Amino acid sequence: MILKRKLQIKFTLIIILAVFVGLVSYPQATVRAPFLYDTLNKLKINLGLDLQGGIHLEYRADVSQVESNQVGDAMQAVQDVIERRVNAFGVAEPVIYTTRSGSEQRLVVELAGVKDIEEAKSLIKETPFLEFKEEGGGTDESQQIPQDILDDMNAQAKVKAEDILKKALAGEDFAQLAKDNSEDPGSKDNGGEYDFQKKGSFVPEYEAVIFDKGLGDGQIFPELVETTFGWHIIKRIEVREIDGSQEFKSAHILIAKKTQPEPQMNFVSTGLTGKNLETAEVAFQNQGLSEPQVSLKFDGEGAKLFAEITKKNIGKRVAIYLDDMIISAPTVQAEITNGEAVITGDFSIEEAKDLVKRLNEGALPVPITLISQQSVEASLGQASLETSLKAGAVGLLLVIAFMILYYRFLGLIASFTLLIYTGLMVTLFKFSVFSPWQITLTLSGIAGFILSIGMAVDANILIFERTKEEIRNGRHALAAIDEGFKRAWTSIRDSNVSSIITALILTEMGTGFVKGFAVTLILGVLVSMFTAVVITRTILRFVAGEWLERKKYLIGVKEK
Amino acid sequence: MINIISKTKYAYIFSITLTALSVLSLFVWGLKFGIDFTGGTLLEVRFPESAPNVSEAEDALRDLNLGSLTLQPAQNQGMLVRYASEDDALNQKVFEALEGKYAGIQRLRVDFINSTVSQDLKKNSLWAIFFAVAGIMVYIAWAFRKVSRPVESWKYGAGAVIALIHDILITVGVFSVLGRFYGVEVGIPFVAALLTILGFSVHDTIVVYDRTRENLLRGSAKEKFPEVVNRSLNETLVRSINTSLTVIITLLAVYIFGGESIKDFSLALLIGVTFGTYSSIFIASALLVTSYNLQSR
Repeated sequence: MILKRKLQIKFTLIIILAVFVGLVSYPQATVRAPFLYDTLNKLKINLGLDLQGGIHLEYRADVSQVESNQVGDAMQAVQDVIERRVNAFGVAEPVIYTTRSGSEQRLVVELAGVKDIEEAKSLIKETPFLEFKEEGGGTDESQQIPQDILDDMNAQAKVKAEDILKKALAGEDFAQLAKDNSEDPGSKDNGGEYDFQKKGSFVPEYEAVIFDKGLGDGQIFPELVETTFGWHIIKRIEVREIDGSQEFKSAHILIAKKTQPEPQMNFVSTGLTGKNLETAEVAFQNQGLSEPQVSLKFDGEGAKLFAEITKKNIGKRVAIYLDDMIISAPTVQAEITNGEAVITGDFSIEEAKDLVKRLNEGALPVPITLISQQSVEASLGQASLETSLKAGAVGLLLVIAFMILYYRFLGLIASFTLLIYTGLMVTLFKFSVFSPWQITLTLSGIAGFILSIGMAVDANILIFERTKEEIRNGRHALAAIDEGFKRAWTSIRDSNVSSIITALILTEMGTGFVKGFAVTLILGVLVSMFTAVVITRTILRFVAGEWLERKKYLIGVKEK
Repeated sequence: MINIISKTKYAYIFSITLTALSVLSLFVWGLKFGIDFTGGTLLEVRFPESAPNVSEAEDALRDLNLGSLTLQPAQNQGMLVRYASEDDALNQKVFEALEGKYAGIQRLRVDFINSTVSQDLKKNSLWAIFFAVAGIMVYIAWAFRKVSRPVESWKYGAGAVIALIHDILITVGVFSVLGRFYGVEVGIPFVAALLTILGFSVHDTIVVYDRTRENLLRGSAKEKFPEVVNRSLNETLVRSINTSLTVIITLLAVYIFGGESIKDFSLALLIGVTFGTYSSIFIASALLVTSYNLQSR
């Protein structure tokens, strides 16, 4: 009687479990009970990037310039910067982590459900890498341009300038010509125009045209003006006098002169990088042609480093590299202790503003290169999810049909168990979100899950075949079922071990596809061992009775 | 009772032929490695209206001089574009070139793998295969640790291993042929499929061997070894077939309905599991009998 009681309790527990996993897996069933529905519907399976759309990016970080004991810090800084940028983009739950492969440091960025994948990518790509370098001795001759080629280039530039001058004098729109042709980044976007400047702030050749050559307001000077910058086509707009000093407004088109680049020094890293940057802003310098520049302020550590570097390098040059390109290499005049520096370069106002924005969002301490990308558009992810769910449903139904046709009554019980198994797996997927072992279901994971449905009934088949054998050997049906479970257990255990061994090795292989597959397969094998043995057995014991002995055809054994 | 052992000769001929053909194909044609192992980009695009034919789309990319470029039509006005690439900037150019010719084209999927990553994947796959084989060997040694007569236990192990090599070689051979004629590529999923087959193949064989040993222990002295093996095969035949059948049913569902990206993966598993079932019924036990016959001669 106690046994019977125990069985009843077990059976009741199984029914409760079945209802529970059923509702968790299919919350739509409770749509009439809004409270329950709301709670259950909140549980979601964590879908992989290939199913909900998204992007997986892997970057290699070049840490060759970083001392080995600071690699960890540098990588942390890279991660922080990228995290900040990604957060600014407003992606829900970005996953960003650093990993290593051999001696290589890598950064992995996973963004789920991103609408515009390219935009997200360029956002990360634009994260600037800022570095200060000092002279390391020796020069790099490879940058030198042979003099005859240089002359040639300049002759061509002059011809181009003359051509533009002709057009301008013929009445073509000056502003448009400037926009299309001018090589002065400070003014070209503005139609070549500079607002009022005090006399004396531009190069003398330029001002001579404005003030001394008899040019009137609104007129274009009919000759090319050569300065150290190149050839100018100059238009005087207005000259006025304020407080006794002359001011002028003008526009020009510059065709730049190519000059021999300064002999490149071999610059070496100083350890001062974008990591130490506190803020950046746009500033203007007013000498010669007005050029926007970017002023930087370092944090405490950076200021200290910068002071050391400038102190060490007085009279020498310190180069500022942005994204591995040298943008300026000023000569240090004195030690700078206030932690402020200025970058000048060929910036247009827009470029300077953009750079400042990028720098303020964070500059990288080491350069990174994209080495691997997997991106899936949301609609494709959705389609994959639908097709794989369909495959799963078809697979499940076919297995159930097979089991019932072949094993009849026993198959029916096994099918019921299989449904519980399926629900239990879905429930585990959903609840894993609350555990440290969160399961992310990918396409390959679904494939593993579907495969595990086929494998889950394996244990039942082993048991049922054994049972049939025992019945054929003349055992009572109920005893045969018991015997079937007992004798099949070792086979079930052993046969699953080899699957688990290979699946475990697969999880260590590391790639997302394989991991997703292997994890669900292992989970499936373990869960199905429980459902196929414990649950099937309890249900069978509860449902089967003496009547089964008289209806052996229900088990698929012919009556003797 | 079906006398399976008596048909050994045919099974051997069939299996040796298939295995030899697989090895031959592997030597002559090799496998067509995908970007997982070679590095490069796989780009899936969808055209706004019907997809143009392959050569027309190829024209749009001519100027880029892409290495090992292949284009392949895909479902829903789609096309798969594969090419060698080291640098992400190229991926952008390729798409822009396509966009220039076909306005409104959509980029559905981009898999880009730089050669450093593909080297890693190659290395990891080899390690995984090594560990899986080692793990399976250890498991086989453990499963057959009990000495049994009249055939020594290591021979059971050897039989299981031969059956396993047979299954793997044939699967790889089929993919070599598919690669040659249908451009099917092998990548990480294929390796995963092979390792899964390793696990399956062994477990099928072990079920049959277990029964043989059980019958040997309990059987009468009159029954000869080949007869015991044959009886064991018959007793486990239905369950061998049925357990594989349910797995094959689900794999077929995945193969047919599961979509493009896991088709090749499920196909590899299908082939492996099918041959795994065949070999554990017709080859693995036959090997025991053959070795017994050689021994008692």
